[in-house]
Amino acid sequence: MATNEFRASGDLAAPLRAPRTGAWARNRELLGELVRRDVQARYRGSVLGILWSLFNPLVFMVVYTVVFSHFANLHFQGKSYPAYIIAGLLAWNFFSQGLSSATSSIVSNAGLVRKVSFSWVLLTVSSVLAALVNYLISLVLLIPFFIIFHLVPGWPLLLLPVLVLVTFALVLGLGLVLAAGNVFFRDLEYLVTVVTLVWFYLTPIIYQLSLVYQHDHGTLGRTFGLLVKLNPMTWIVTAQQDVIEANQWPQHWHGLLYAVAMAAVAVAVGVGVFGRVRRRFAEEV
Amino acid sequence: MAGPAVRVTGLGKRFRLYHQRNQTLKQVLVHRGRGRYEDFWAVRDASFEVPVGATLGIIGENGSGKSTLLRCIAGILVADQGSVHVDGRLAALLEVGAGFHPEYSGRENIYLNGALLGLPRRYIRRVFDDIVGFAELDRFIDNPVKTYSSGMYVRLGFSIAVHLDPDILVVDEVLAVGDAAFQRRCMDRISQFRSEGRTLIFVSHGLESVRETCDTAIWLDGGRMREMGAVEPVLGQYVAEVNAREAIRLELETRARPPLPGGRAGVGVTGIRFIGPDGPATVFRTGDPFAVEISYESPQPLTGPRFFVGFVREDGVTVLTVPTDDSELEEAVLPARGVVRLAMPALPLLDGLFQVTVGIAEIRTEEWYTLLDRVYAFRVVTDQRPERGVALLGQRWELPELAPAPVRA
Repeated sequence: MATNEFRASGDLAAPLRAPRTGAWARNRELLGELVRRDVQARYRGSVLGILWSLFNPLVFMVVYTVVFSHFANLHFQGKSYPAYIIAGLLAWNFFSQGLSSATSSIVSNAGLVRKVSFSWVLLTVSSVLAALVNYLISLVLLIPFFIIFHLVPGWPLLLLPVLVLVTFALVLGLGLVLAAGNVFFRDLEYLVTVVTLVWFYLTPIIYQLSLVYQHDHGTLGRTFGLLVKLNPMTWIVTAQQDVIEANQWPQHWHGLLYAVAMAAVAVAVGVGVFGRVRRRFAEEV
Repeated sequence: MAGPAVRVTGLGKRFRLYHQRNQTLKQVLVHRGRGRYEDFWAVRDASFEVPVGATLGIIGENGSGKSTLLRCIAGILVADQGSVHVDGRLAALLEVGAGFHPEYSGRENIYLNGALLGLPRRYIRRVFDDIVGFAELDRFIDNPVKTYSSGMYVRLGFSIAVHLDPDILVVDEVLAVGDAAFQRRCMDRISQFRSEGRTLIFVSHGLESVRETCDTAIWLDGGRMREMGAVEPVLGQYVAEVNAREAIRLELETRARPPLPGGRAGVGVTGIRFIGPDGPATVFRTGDPFAVEISYESPQPLTGPRFFVGFVREDGVTVLTVPTDDSELEEAVLPARGVVRLAMPALPLLDGLFQVTVGIAEIRTEEWYTLLDRVYAFRVVTDQRPERGVALLGQRWELPELAPAPVRA
């Protein structure tokens, strides 16, 4: 290395030898650069910058609280409905933002994919990582909620990183399939938007899971109940609400284990599908 | 390092040419499938090795698979047959602005490109000023690259590629965009690159730059390798073939040409022929006798005409425009039908395709009867001569008087 330090300047100077690195170090470097780029892109050109990512869930929280607890007269059993909503909403936002940016991650970088050879999967990984960074920032929002609603941060909060990891895996797995699919079917992006909207209501974010069990009768109720229970996000979100708002260990361990299994399946399928079709990316994108 | 820098074995790449491509789910559902397509082999059965430190030029006509081959080597396209093995860090400069993100500044794109090549940020920080300096973009480096001109794009792309210390540099036809001074510096940089023992793979239509840069060449024809070897013989065979095809093409074009349009007052050109040493032809050799024959027709004898011939090389350089001498023809009356010849005892033009403009005007009114702008073309081949450029200029070297040969004791 020391020999590289001394050199003449000018165009035709002896070249500086760059370190020869292994694939792992190379990809880590690139991943860092891509995440940096994605995170910066989100806040570029907006005066409030990072505050926007905090503002958005707050507004939704207020709207849902007003609409559902005051007008729709939803009966909430717990310490604080606003805190309940924000706990679930943050987890959900991570999921939905990650999913939507992962879906477009390959297509929106068509210029790179068509002309530069690298592990394109990093584009999808970095889009989900950027959503993760965003999510971690948004966790700051919890602090005023803890203060205002006299919540006590307890041991169950230690489970939060695990929940984040499971969500990350789930988003990444689904995202890989969608990112690859979107190369071939451009309208997948719009489909994802619509499906995510429905998915939101199939996840106990503004209502409680107990409500689903209470209304588990009739064809509609049973179908709805089934969909909610099959939805892995149900168990991730409920667990997050448990550890944040209720200060208790997750009440539905079986559900959480199911979510972990689904996340693992999603990653396996995602990696498989992506690996199979990536060879056609450069020509199709 | 043992083994070659690049080894290509039985490489084949197939594309799907969609007749109707269904890119949305709706279309796929309605039309049951992603659309009809046929397979098209852009490259087939390509096998070769590029030793470390070699410079390889890939030549061939448009659509011969050069870029596809390059993109397979660069790892962007995945081969359908065979394999590509690359040993060392490869940087590819394909098309203008490859790998740039238009919304990001030149600065950010430099870091991104470095990361794409797997370089740590601290390394890029150290070469950053050199990159910007070589690309001459100091004032613009913090502007988004979407505001750059195509020349700036290429300069930045090339500068990044050479400064990021690749073992193998793959360059596709991009250098033609920059101005002459920058092209010169690129070529200098490339030769420096060679002298450092790095490997270069180079695609170009400019045979001159291939000749100057490369020591070996591959000629691709219809996706298959026609020739491979030392650059001169491969280029020679390629040029010979291209000229032969060109002659056929020009011949066919001339035959298939619709009748020439009549001119004002019924005065028009009825035919144009290029005459070489063996009669009419479309391909000529530098130094051979050459003539342009213009047949004209007029309703009555032609009073005070001015004939005009212009030669324009395919790259747009006007080589010569030559009217007849007005003082000689002002009072003249030419027959209503005849042939005018512009003759050269020895064709001075050098390699190139030349388009010919022919016109007839009336000297008195200064108005054209007819003007056929670049409707005919012929090719010139400079076979064994050492000169390069547009044309011979009747030049002559004058050397000092020869000293007597030293007498050996």
